[in-house]
Amino acid sequence: MRVLLIEDDTALGAAIRDQIAADGHSVDWMNRLDKARDALASAAYDLVLLDLMLPDGLGIPFLKALRARGDATPVIILTALDQVSDRIAGLNAGADDYMVKPFDLAELSARIGSVARRYTGNPNPIVTLGPLEIDLAARSVRFNGKPVVLTAREWVLFEAFVQRPGQLLSKAQLEERLYSFDQEVDSNAIEVHVSRLRKKLGAHVIETERGLGYRLGRP
Amino acid sequence: MKINKVMSSLQARLAIAVGVSVTILWLAAAVATAHRLGRELEQVYDDGLKATAERILPIARHDLREGNPRRERADDDEDEDDVRREARPVREARYGEDVTFILRDKQGGVLLSSKGADVAIFPPFEKTGFSRTDTHRLYYATSADGNLVIAVAEPLDHRQELSNKMLLGLLLPLLVVIPLSLVVIAFAVRYSLRPVRALQQGLSHRGAQDLSPLPDSGLPSELRPISAGINQLLGRLTAAFDAERAFAAHAAHELRTPVAGAIAQAQRIRSETKEELTAQRTNEIETTLKRLMRMSEKLMQLARAEGARLRADEPSDLRTVLLMIVQDFERTGERKVELTMPEKPVYSPLDPDAVGILSRNLIENALKHGAQGSPVEVALDTEGVLCVANEGATLPPEAMDRLMRQFERGNVKIGGSGLGLAIVKAIADRVGAAVEVVSPRSGRSEGVEVRVRLPIT
Repeated sequence: MRVLLIEDDTALGAAIRDQIAADGHSVDWMNRLDKARDALASAAYDLVLLDLMLPDGLGIPFLKALRARGDATPVIILTALDQVSDRIAGLNAGADDYMVKPFDLAELSARIGSVARRYTGNPNPIVTLGPLEIDLAARSVRFNGKPVVLTAREWVLFEAFVQRPGQLLSKAQLEERLYSFDQEVDSNAIEVHVSRLRKKLGAHVIETERGLGYRLGRP
Repeated sequence: MKINKVMSSLQARLAIAVGVSVTILWLAAAVATAHRLGRELEQVYDDGLKATAERILPIARHDLREGNPRRERADDDEDEDDVRREARPVREARYGEDVTFILRDKQGGVLLSSKGADVAIFPPFEKTGFSRTDTHRLYYATSADGNLVIAVAEPLDHRQELSNKMLLGLLLPLLVVIPLSLVVIAFAVRYSLRPVRALQQGLSHRGAQDLSPLPDSGLPSELRPISAGINQLLGRLTAAFDAERAFAAHAAHELRTPVAGAIAQAQRIRSETKEELTAQRTNEIETTLKRLMRMSEKLMQLARAEGARLRADEPSDLRTVLLMIVQDFERTGERKVELTMPEKPVYSPLDPDAVGILSRNLIENALKHGAQGSPVEVALDTEGVLCVANEGATLPPEAMDRLMRQFERGNVKIGGSGLGLAIVKAIADRVGAAVEVVSPRSGRSEGVEVRVRLPIT
């Protein structure tokens, strides 16, 4: 997934960025709302992590403007405002979830997964595809009942296909999910990851549409 | 006491002052008029009496000189003599039957008298002019030669009766006018003080936490400074509450964000390191930071519980708050919290943040002291009674005493369980909710149950 993190505290922002990156997602980290607006205008995000008190404004109006534009990108609010009324205000403004600082990074990872699953229309974290049993919450895959170890990148790529069964994903779309603005994209990275996934999960797990992209196959 | 209460009302004071003044003025005017009219009437009567005497005298003298038979009683037969012919219309025209006269000679012998005249009422002649006896007003006149004396008398009863009638005529309307004007005054005062009443009702009907300014439209100029003063005060209060809220939010942000950053960094180190010792150290850092966070959080909660406004402008559903708090515990906690709530909303005028702080502390307390492995039960009923119960050993009486003492402010130890209960107590006291601790739980043989009756709308 490609995640936009909006957080002005350096230590917290860096830790969150590293956590999400370690989960295999690509992260763009902005410390101001105006930069976040530019980022949203220039890339498609699967999730926004939004702090509520930023140097150049408040998160709630930012979120309201986002929703008013018809942007349905999932938003998780990360805030120091711990009161029930703050939470109600945040959820009413269109947030999908609300986390009060300080929080556990493991919990953040879990909530990112849960919000993402809700958005793809399948809240059930267990998906079965022929011999494959995929647990989206635990980020684990079993092939013929045996656990398969995937790297973070492989997992994120595979998750993108599982969450959109039958849908064609272009190489550019996949690269966007894997890399953030400041990362250099390896020209054949997607091909490399796809071939590794085929090696681990069966040759037909991902089908190639020549010149167009990839989609989930029938393993 | 009752009079004091009546006199403390501006309306009663005004009505009484104006009513009494008007009544006194009316009566004084009536008395002055009666007095003045009485003197005028007296004058008119006296003039009449004198005129009668002066008319009768020459006629009588003429009659006597012509040798008319001397008559003691001028009117005892059918014949009408001149005097009578003249005198009767005169006096009757003026006085009816009430005026009597006698005509005497120099020696005091009665020459002539009016019909029914009682000689006894006429004292002997002393001087011409007016005089008065106990019963009559008299006028004496003498003929030019001094041989004849005429005395005309009018009973005082008659005058008194007339003056009484006049006084009555003046006072009778007042019997109607004075009560009527008192009623009119009462209504007028009531009407004029309507804005005061409206202001007072507006103030007394507003909710305890309603700090919106008073409307000043249509207020009389005397009240405008008062409403302006009240509005200024309300404005300052609102600003103070807002500042307190803003400060709490700001303090939370300033404190939570760096602690969150440090905790997150520690967690990153732990997942990135392969060294056992480093992982252990980061765990310790994390634990310490979390304890610091909990402590400062409790202090902020206590400050809010004791200082901030606890009632919201609009009622909110208690279920929403409870659900949020319980979900928080379910996400992070190891142990289960079972929530039972009515199907219909339970609206409460309380600030949802205050309810949140109160229920969070009650649940934390139950989790801390309840038996491991068994769920904490949280129940809300339609009457607003929040019940937090946990399994575990029954509290012995002395432990119950200690717990109840912990609900009191004073023996608070930061970090100990006392602070959570003190926060619950502070909020419950300020909103007028009673805290009740029951052990063993109702219907069970063990466990502890804390009940708080929250106000509902």
